[in-house]
Amino acid sequence: MSSESTTMTALAEVRNVSKWFGPVMALNGVSLEIGSGITGLVGPNGAGKTTLLRLLTGQIKPSLGGIDVCGRDAWSPRAKDHIGLCPFGDATWDELSGRQLVRVTAGLRGFTGAEARRRAEAVLETVGMVDRANRPVRTYSKGMRQRIKLGQALIHDPDMLVLDEPLNGVDPVGCEELNDLFRTLAAQGKAVLVSSHILHEMDQLADRILFVCRGKLLASGPLEEIRDMLDDHPLKVRISCESPRWIGPQLLTLESVKSVSIETPRDLLLEVQNPSRFYAEFCEFAAGNDAQVQRFKATDTSTEAVFDYLMERAVRPE
Amino acid sequence: MLVLLGLAVLITYLWSLPKPWHPDPRTLAELAREIVLPLYMGFLLPVICLGYASAAIADERTGETLVYLLTTNIPRPLVYLSKYAAALILTLGMALGGLGSLCLVPGKIGLEALGVFWPVTACATAAYVGLFLLFSAWVRRATFLSLAYALMIETLTGNIPGFVKRITVSFYAKSWLYESGEMLELAAKGVALSLFDPVSAATAQWVLGLASAGFIVLGMWIFSRKEYD
Repeated sequence: MSSESTTMTALAEVRNVSKWFGPVMALNGVSLEIGSGITGLVGPNGAGKTTLLRLLTGQIKPSLGGIDVCGRDAWSPRAKDHIGLCPFGDATWDELSGRQLVRVTAGLRGFTGAEARRRAEAVLETVGMVDRANRPVRTYSKGMRQRIKLGQALIHDPDMLVLDEPLNGVDPVGCEELNDLFRTLAAQGKAVLVSSHILHEMDQLADRILFVCRGKLLASGPLEEIRDMLDDHPLKVRISCESPRWIGPQLLTLESVKSVSIETPRDLLLEVQNPSRFYAEFCEFAAGNDAQVQRFKATDTSTEAVFDYLMERAVRPE
Repeated sequence: MLVLLGLAVLITYLWSLPKPWHPDPRTLAELAREIVLPLYMGFLLPVICLGYASAAIADERTGETLVYLLTTNIPRPLVYLSKYAAALILTLGMALGGLGSLCLVPGKIGLEALGVFWPVTACATAAYVGLFLLFSAWVRRATFLSLAYALMIETLTGNIPGFVKRITVSFYAKSWLYESGEMLELAAKGVALSLFDPVSAATAQWVLGLASAGFIVLGMWIFSRKEYD
């Protein structure tokens, strides 16, 4: 199911990794490579994203398989030289100021004195927190916390940044600012791995996508390739219009429409096979037939629905 | 912790005041037998140690900040050793400070007791911190386990006759104290001493030293292998 057309230098290599927590299989035979640029790790809640990130950052060991980061086993301290983690959640040493927190992190990475101060100021500048760095972290907003956590992750100038749901709870303006920051870091040649359970968050951000669901890597590759795969994704569309009994049979003549049912006197429910083609055909139909459509809504475009579809494809016999 | 210590100091002060049934000034042996051994060594010292040591890693786990330590390039055994050193320094400060304040409340007699008690206190603290930090690396709710250990093993098992009490830290600390405190007549009552059946001070020192080292090594091993959630 995985498709990978781009060639890249892998900074991290995951080889047939499985991970169990007691009887629960969190990851099942996952193999992938992560190179420079932004990689989106997408999957619904409980898909195994955080487990994969914890394996990559050497917090846990795989039950089977192996993980290398810059040629070293991810569990080893040497591999951690190359990785900066921005963990999920807001937990940090809240009593410290942002500046102190970043300096403490510099100390944990082995930088002391003037070098620690220089690095701290540099990352505060990078994440845009210089003017707010003397405030205690407990007074920070969600977006400011994400920035300071990013500063901690960047303090040792790692080759790879691992960001666990960094946009979770951040307002749209903050999201856009953080996304710009991720793009800047990727442009500097770093590998940025961003996890999210929201597919559209990755639309404008990620160069490549890794789809994970129920512990399996369902698809990987550039977003365009994933989109091509999703073209077969069946979709349900609800249409409200003045004369559904007249429009319904007409819509059945469109090649992309599989079935039509009248839900209420004003609502039609369509099952369509190829969403992209349907949208094109429907626009043409509506313009040519004066359909007087009042409302048009796809009902199952959620990430979970997409993942269910990909999962179905993964287990469907050829 | 400071409240407990303050309470202990108050009890010692009230104990040291002249009373109708005990008008004479308190002696050094009385201070040791009635205050320092039961109140400090038997209760306060384990509580001080568990307060700091059992929280050292467990609090980082519950506060979700342990991830920052586990993802640095510092080898895990070294992280554990640093935690031990930090917890030991804090606990030693509190334990020796607490012992000093208890001994000095009754006046001059306490100074001599302090001279006898501080080395034992320091070694027992090192062993307790090693043990409670090991619990902290091992289980999430280390404070409960440490409290249960302090009450069930150290307090109950440590005071029953027979060989079982030799698994407690306090047994070796007391054995050392009885020998060091011979001139204070700490364990002058022959019957009580034969019931306690202490080991020699040299043996006690060896056991406490080896136990501390063993707890540290075992804790480093657990911490370097365990997958924390």
